[in-house]
Amino acid sequence: MSTLRVSNDEQALTPRRAYSSRPLSTTQVVRWIISCVIILALVLFILGPLVILFLWAFADAWFYPALLPHTWTFSWWQQILLNGDIGHSILLSFIFAPVVTLVSAAICLPAAYAFARFKFPGQRAFMVSLFATNAFPKMGLYIVMAGLLYTFGLMDTFWGVVLVQLLNTVVVMTWIPSAAFAAVPRELEDAARDAGAGLWTTFWRVTLPLARSGIMVALILSFLASLDEAQGTFLVGSPDYITMPTQMYTLVTSYPQQAAAVFSIVLSIPSFVLLLLVRKYILGGTLAAGFRLR
Amino acid sequence: MRKSNVIAMLVALIPIVFIAIFVGIPILMAIAFSLGYTGGPNTTVALLDQNLQVTQSGPIFSVYSHLISDLSFQKDFWSTIWVTALSVVLVLLIGWGLALYMRFTRGWLVNIVSSLYIVPLFIPVVIASYALVTFWNTNGFMSALIENVLHLHFAGIGYTSFGVVVGQVWTNIPFAVLMLASGLQAVPDPLIEAARDTGASQLTILRRIIVPLNTLPTMIVGTFTGIGVLGSFTVPDLMGPTAPTMLGVSMSRYYQSFNEPQLSTAVAVIVFLLAAGLGALYVWANIRSNRKAGATQ
Amino acid sequence: MAKLVLEGIVKHLGGRPVVNDLHLDVKSGEMICLLGASGCGKTTTLRMIGGFLAPDAGRMLLDDVSILHLPPEKRPTAMVFQQYALWPHMDVFHNVAFGLQVRRVAKQEIRRRVQEVLKLVRLEQFARSYPAQMSGGQQQRVALARALVLEPKLLLLDEPLSNLDSKLRIQVREEIQEIQRRVGITAIFVTHDQEEALSISDRVAVLSEGKLEQYATPDVLYRDPATLYVASFIGTMNLLRGSVQGQGVAIEGTVVPCAQFPAPIDGTLDIAVRPEDVRIVDDGGVPAHVIQRIPRGHYQELVLSAQPGNIRAFVSNDIRVGEQVQFLFQRALLYRDEKLVRAGVAVS
Repeated sequence: MSTLRVSNDEQALTPRRAYSSRPLSTTQVVRWIISCVIILALVLFILGPLVILFLWAFADAWFYPALLPHTWTFSWWQQILLNGDIGHSILLSFIFAPVVTLVSAAICLPAAYAFARFKFPGQRAFMVSLFATNAFPKMGLYIVMAGLLYTFGLMDTFWGVVLVQLLNTVVVMTWIPSAAFAAVPRELEDAARDAGAGLWTTFWRVTLPLARSGIMVALILSFLASLDEAQGTFLVGSPDYITMPTQMYTLVTSYPQQAAAVFSIVLSIPSFVLLLLVRKYILGGTLAAGFRLR
Repeated sequence: MRKSNVIAMLVALIPIVFIAIFVGIPILMAIAFSLGYTGGPNTTVALLDQNLQVTQSGPIFSVYSHLISDLSFQKDFWSTIWVTALSVVLVLLIGWGLALYMRFTRGWLVNIVSSLYIVPLFIPVVIASYALVTFWNTNGFMSALIENVLHLHFAGIGYTSFGVVVGQVWTNIPFAVLMLASGLQAVPDPLIEAARDTGASQLTILRRIIVPLNTLPTMIVGTFTGIGVLGSFTVPDLMGPTAPTMLGVSMSRYYQSFNEPQLSTAVAVIVFLLAAGLGALYVWANIRSNRKAGATQ
Repeated sequence: MAKLVLEGIVKHLGGRPVVNDLHLDVKSGEMICLLGASGCGKTTTLRMIGGFLAPDAGRMLLDDVSILHLPPEKRPTAMVFQQYALWPHMDVFHNVAFGLQVRRVAKQEIRRRVQEVLKLVRLEQFARSYPAQMSGGQQQRVALARALVLEPKLLLLDEPLSNLDSKLRIQVREEIQEIQRRVGITAIFVTHDQEEALSISDRVAVLSEGKLEQYATPDVLYRDPATLYVASFIGTMNLLRGSVQGQGVAIEGTVVPCAQFPAPIDGTLDIAVRPEDVRIVDDGGVPAHVIQRIPRGHYQELVLSAQPGNIRAFVSNDIRVGEQVQFLFQRALLYRDEKLVRAGVAVS
């Protein structure tokens, strides 16, 4: 006599729309229409502006109310790509982003683990305080911070910019990995310790791999936050450290549409590549789990 | 406390200390500065001020009274409030709509939708704002499209407050849908099937089962989006009108154009108070949700 | 109270036939069980009856009317889900009242009917409690109340006891049976536990790989399993291979005395013998020695090692390990191509 636990294979296989219906009933047609409307609306709303900007990068003459450029050209590409300043700002952005991400990880990941695994007084207060500081508008913060940074001699320095960009990443780099670590069953770590592994080995070989997706999400979001940062970097980094977003501001105000469009594409390519590579991490539930307070 | 707990606490303190020094202290400095304390660490900033209000003893409120009585500030304030409110409402509606769509539809169409909605996450805000304002502007593509297809004149919403709303909604959709979709996922199928079994229609199930079980994710999206929009700078700067503008932009103007950092920090403090209110809401919602799950164990 | 008829029901999932040409009838007021190992199609069948899944072919008639076109919301069936599926944000009262509220029943009437059904399942004082505050068995009864309050024609239970610990299981299953009998409702429940199926059902349908192996009362199922699968699934069974020889069965060269058969059968057969039909005798039997003794309370289970193989026997006397005994078969079941061809009648 067996007392097998019944697997849920059968239930996992069942599709959602379940009851018997004639082919192409009104409900199905309505659903199809709704789906198409939603997708069209999304494409227009979300992708539309990006696609149009993309077209502008190759446009020579394009006047209202034409839906497409009248003539095309590559000349703006030449201009932008050969511009030394712009190349420099791209390079800088891609130096800052990984540095900021790594420093952020170094500071925050151990804390994330501590929050997940240990109980100590004021735990939730700490977590919330990190978040609370985000509530102060960045613009206001940078103004006052400028004074502080002058005193420390960090204005117009590499580490000054790193610092400013770091601030945007701390909450994400603490909360999301903390949830990811908490989701690793304690028994797995206990089993490793039982087998003789020390604290560090257990963390490195059991906890970290299992919390991988949450940490990946945090790293990606931090990387993007650093790439994205404009206001603070402008304030602290000028005139020597101009990153892509800061450069973008100048382009938008003093160059024609086409130049800004070309630069936008160049600035977006790395982000887009990242998107394709890490889509599955973001779409998992790890992001959502990170934003609930325990 | 055991030794390991003490170490854990110290390790956990590292980012806290970091934030305390580089954010906490500036915040306190800013508040102090706006209340008239212009000495000490605020000296450098104070030097820039055209119209400095200095305290002799105790905090002074002349900076705030000046601000509040200023007509353009009032316009900016209310503009910020309604743009934030409208943005949050739209983000929640669109977020819920997309999340529900993805939860209850099958097929490859859903994959397309899920790829589309996270695109804004990966586009730098500067570029997004620029692309959006060009698209929605007076002679932009939307205008051209409506002209060609519907033969109507569309004046465009670029450089208007409503344009700012569009921009804010655009940038906040990914987070909203991610959070809400995850919340919906967490509602087990049997709960919905049981409701169908007792005869409930789709709408009833939505209203009485799904929405009540998702108040926390909704609160999280609402408060985070609200806080983000309240203090935002780039989107209103690139997409909004010269006046009225959102408070994030006006505080930058007080500083850079008018050389009045004291007013600037006062604006920042006001925004901070509003945002902190939302933050408190977020914490309260979480505590209430944890208590419900915990106490009923 | 309703009768249900399934004819030729077929369902393919993931490419394979999960339910294969199923014919089943349930009489009004009867409680039947769909029994089988995981993957046999029992849950799929139940979900098709409930309307959560559409069959690929076949007919389904409730009181002679087809219900296939009806979605779960409109079918007069009510399901008790395996994990109870109680709504955590509503108290017991509202969980049970939900269906009535959807039907816009008057408030007074709702209160009356909910209290009545809560009394039926003995949970009147829990009306204001929340599911998370209650035990598994209590949640089970709330789920049952929720189904019954709507006065459905058919009650469906999906593995109702699998989440309960063993002692509780017995108690709750008897409660379910008692309630079902009192209300007189036609009920179908699904389980993989054959002891559970045999103890409370009027009839049991044994399913294997989407096919109906046998559909009979528990007694018949136990005594005369129609197929080899049923023989090995229900209870304990000695499974041997041999042929009929004279007044017994020849297995591995040894003839074990057995019942008389009305007519001789040729060829090699599968032979199934219940342990209680293995009799220890003083002489005239096949020699064996006891290699294992498992105390089972008021009887013992012995494993005998003999020429034909290892035989399990249930005995009531004290026989110890290592003892030499003799045994014969009181009654044997003979199978050819998996189907029952002879059921031996006890002789001495």
